[in-house]
Amino acid sequence: MPTPAISIQNLTKVFPIPFRREKVVAVKDLSLNVEAGHVYGLLGPNGSGKSTTMKIVLGLVSPTAGKTEIFGRDSAEVESREDVGFLPESPYFYKFLTGEETLLFYGKLCGLRGAKLKERAKELLHLVGLESAAARRIGGYSKGMLQRIGLAQALVQEPRLLVLDEPTAGVDPAGSREIRDLILAFKQRGITVLLCSHLLSQVQEICDRIGILHEGRLVREGALADLISIDTQTEIVLENATPQFLDQLRAAAARGGAKIVEERKPQRTLERYFLEVTGGGE
Amino acid sequence: MLDVFLTPMSAAPSATRHKLFSPARIWALASNTLLELVRLKVFYFLLLFALLIIGSSAFVVKFSFQEQFQVLKDVALGAMSIFTWLLAVLSTALLLPKDIEERTLYTILAKPVPRCEYLLGKLLGVLTLLFLATSLMSFLFVGVLYYREQGAIASLGDMPPDEFAAAVAAVKASTFSPSLIQGIVFIYLKAALCASLTLLLSTFASTTIFTIMVSVVVYFIGHVQALARDYWLRDATVGPLTKIFLAFVSLVFPDLQLFNVVDDIAAGAALPMAIFLKTSALGVIYIAVYFLAGYFLFQNKEL
Amino acid sequence: MPNEKMKPRIGNAVVIRHPSFVVLLLLAFGAAKLLPEAALTREQLAAGLRKGQLDLEMRQQVGQLAFVAALSGFRAIVADGFWIHAQTAWERVDWARMKLDFDIVTSLQPRCVLFWEMSAWHMSHNASVAALENRAQPRAALRVRAAREFIATGEKYLLDGIANNPGNARLYDMLGMLYRDKMEDHCKASWAYFQAAALPTAPMYVHRFAAYELAQCPGHEREAYEILRALYLKSEDEHLPTLLKWLDRLQQKLSIPPAERVYNPDPEKSAR
Repeated sequence: MPTPAISIQNLTKVFPIPFRREKVVAVKDLSLNVEAGHVYGLLGPNGSGKSTTMKIVLGLVSPTAGKTEIFGRDSAEVESREDVGFLPESPYFYKFLTGEETLLFYGKLCGLRGAKLKERAKELLHLVGLESAAARRIGGYSKGMLQRIGLAQALVQEPRLLVLDEPTAGVDPAGSREIRDLILAFKQRGITVLLCSHLLSQVQEICDRIGILHEGRLVREGALADLISIDTQTEIVLENATPQFLDQLRAAAARGGAKIVEERKPQRTLERYFLEVTGGGE
Repeated sequence: MLDVFLTPMSAAPSATRHKLFSPARIWALASNTLLELVRLKVFYFLLLFALLIIGSSAFVVKFSFQEQFQVLKDVALGAMSIFTWLLAVLSTALLLPKDIEERTLYTILAKPVPRCEYLLGKLLGVLTLLFLATSLMSFLFVGVLYYREQGAIASLGDMPPDEFAAAVAAVKASTFSPSLIQGIVFIYLKAALCASLTLLLSTFASTTIFTIMVSVVVYFIGHVQALARDYWLRDATVGPLTKIFLAFVSLVFPDLQLFNVVDDIAAGAALPMAIFLKTSALGVIYIAVYFLAGYFLFQNKEL
Repeated sequence: MPNEKMKPRIGNAVVIRHPSFVVLLLLAFGAAKLLPEAALTREQLAAGLRKGQLDLEMRQQVGQLAFVAALSGFRAIVADGFWIHAQTAWERVDWARMKLDFDIVTSLQPRCVLFWEMSAWHMSHNASVAALENRAQPRAALRVRAAREFIATGEKYLLDGIANNPGNARLYDMLGMLYRDKMEDHCKASWAYFQAAALPTAPMYVHRFAAYELAQCPGHEREAYEILRALYLKSEDEHLPTLLKWLDRLQQKLSIPPAERVYNPDPEKSAR
């Protein structure tokens, strides 16, 4: 059985409140696996324990109980982070560095050096579309540019696992679409992605599996398609159906004991419409 | 689009092999810290330093050249002392809180970077900055002192050769001595100690202003630690509560007066090499211990 | 159950988690450094360093801000500030204020020979002369007494300066000059110059000056003559007018036989 990219076993995290007796239980007995090569969406309302779980997986916070592993290596070990690239929510990087310097800096932290590192930085800047801004200081970057450079630094050491926290937050629809396409391309390349996002429509488009946290507990977990499909209903979309044919269909449904729950014209997504209108759709 | 990724899914991981301790990684962090501080334009204070040492002569125009040199040395070394201390405390105090607040700390520690190396990189960055600042100020100071020395020699006028030689010797005796370098080393070590201490404070302090204020308080108390130690160890007339307080001050605070021999050096006293080496070693030990304590606290810190 | 592997590490060693460990570490280090620091302090004091007086009396004299600055490693700058203040007092001819400032400066910077020297000079030369010429004081005796007090103050500065800087020839030199010019005590002047001459940094002339003063100290003429004779024979560089004058004087005073005299001011007269 292949090693899961992330393995979380009976994870509990309790934060004591200074000068008070009560404590905050951020995560309660959480267990889940993220298989290698999947895109996993970790969802939940604010305060549900998503960020805490992510930080524990990344070794930034120590658990009160349980353990987490990355490709079989304990998260507490620094070596486990060789395989991980992390993009935090609303990332900031050192404002005094240029885009290229930022990538070089993070590359050095991962042990990359010299010409190889410079080449890598160039490739990543091209990948995220920031070649023209490579020499500009991060302090002058827009939100979307920050997200892109964040993605680039997460990829600098060619990680097998990407942890992305709200990767499209504050990004315009075109940029958001590009990031989404990148994530799908990562998946095709076999890179595992753990995605936290409040944009459920986006999660729906790209994730294979999801876990929903609520008040520190995992309340639902499984393949996306399985979780959100309504078993008792079937959706058929017709094109060029005449009104007569539709009447026949309604009659057939009634004879078959089925109930027509809803009948409407399918809609494009607003995003698709927006992109078609603004020319960002191709 | 992703041709850059040559590693297929099933291949062995990552382009890098993690090393338990990597000087290169530490230097990457240190040089980044140095760059951050330099790009904050901290070195503009050097202009102020230059103005001070050149401007100090305005107050002593009517004095003899020996007095002028004395004041110049005192002002320069005093200014170096205060500037390096301020630089040490202010630049160190904002490092950790800034990284935490802006979440750059997460992106760094999410890489295979041990917390120890992160902290060491920060400290080394500040120590390098202090070294550069001290060197630049020393260079300015020596330059101005040399220029004034030559001016004083040029103004000696006509006199018999042996008298001229004696006069030149008197001028030179008022300016440079090898002990000045030792004094500058102590100024650097004192600032480095304060930087290490400030880093320790910032690992648990909730705000930058708290870190700075406590550093300032420790700086001042550190200058009376020797007095407290003396009273605690030798004075039998002190009451028990006072003794506990004196013990606390003696044990917890550094003895910064040990590094204050700069004043005597500026006055012309020679510093025996044995004392220089012992005091320097103590300074280095202080820096190491404070760093170690900061590391233990930082290692436990919930981010 | 706490996760063992999550405990902070140094390499593979598990480090105690609780912050109180850091407090214990600092206290242990504090205890370990206590005696070495005390020993190093004693060594520095024994080497004549850190002698600046920073006590309550100083606090009274300099004020709180200056005291805190002096305590915080800016003793030299505070001393310079008071030195400059003394100079402005001199411009106002405020000798009392000058003396106060000199006391502060020399207490703060006892290793600065320049301050002792200049303080002594101001008191023994400038202030004493001003006292002698003070027409606001009609009684000559009181003017003389005031002048002598200033000279004695100058002497004290030099003696205190010597106590703080025992290896300094310059202060002995200045003391000799004070005894010679202001007190006209040639025996003491001679003693001071001899003290200077014994130090490696002494200028050459102090050897001669010591002998000149000794020559004027009753009962020591012979001793002075021997010294001057030795200097004369040592090098032609010593054949300076004053030395020759004193040598000749002593040869006559001591009735040195002509054949034994090393110096003959008028060879033709001797030949006749």
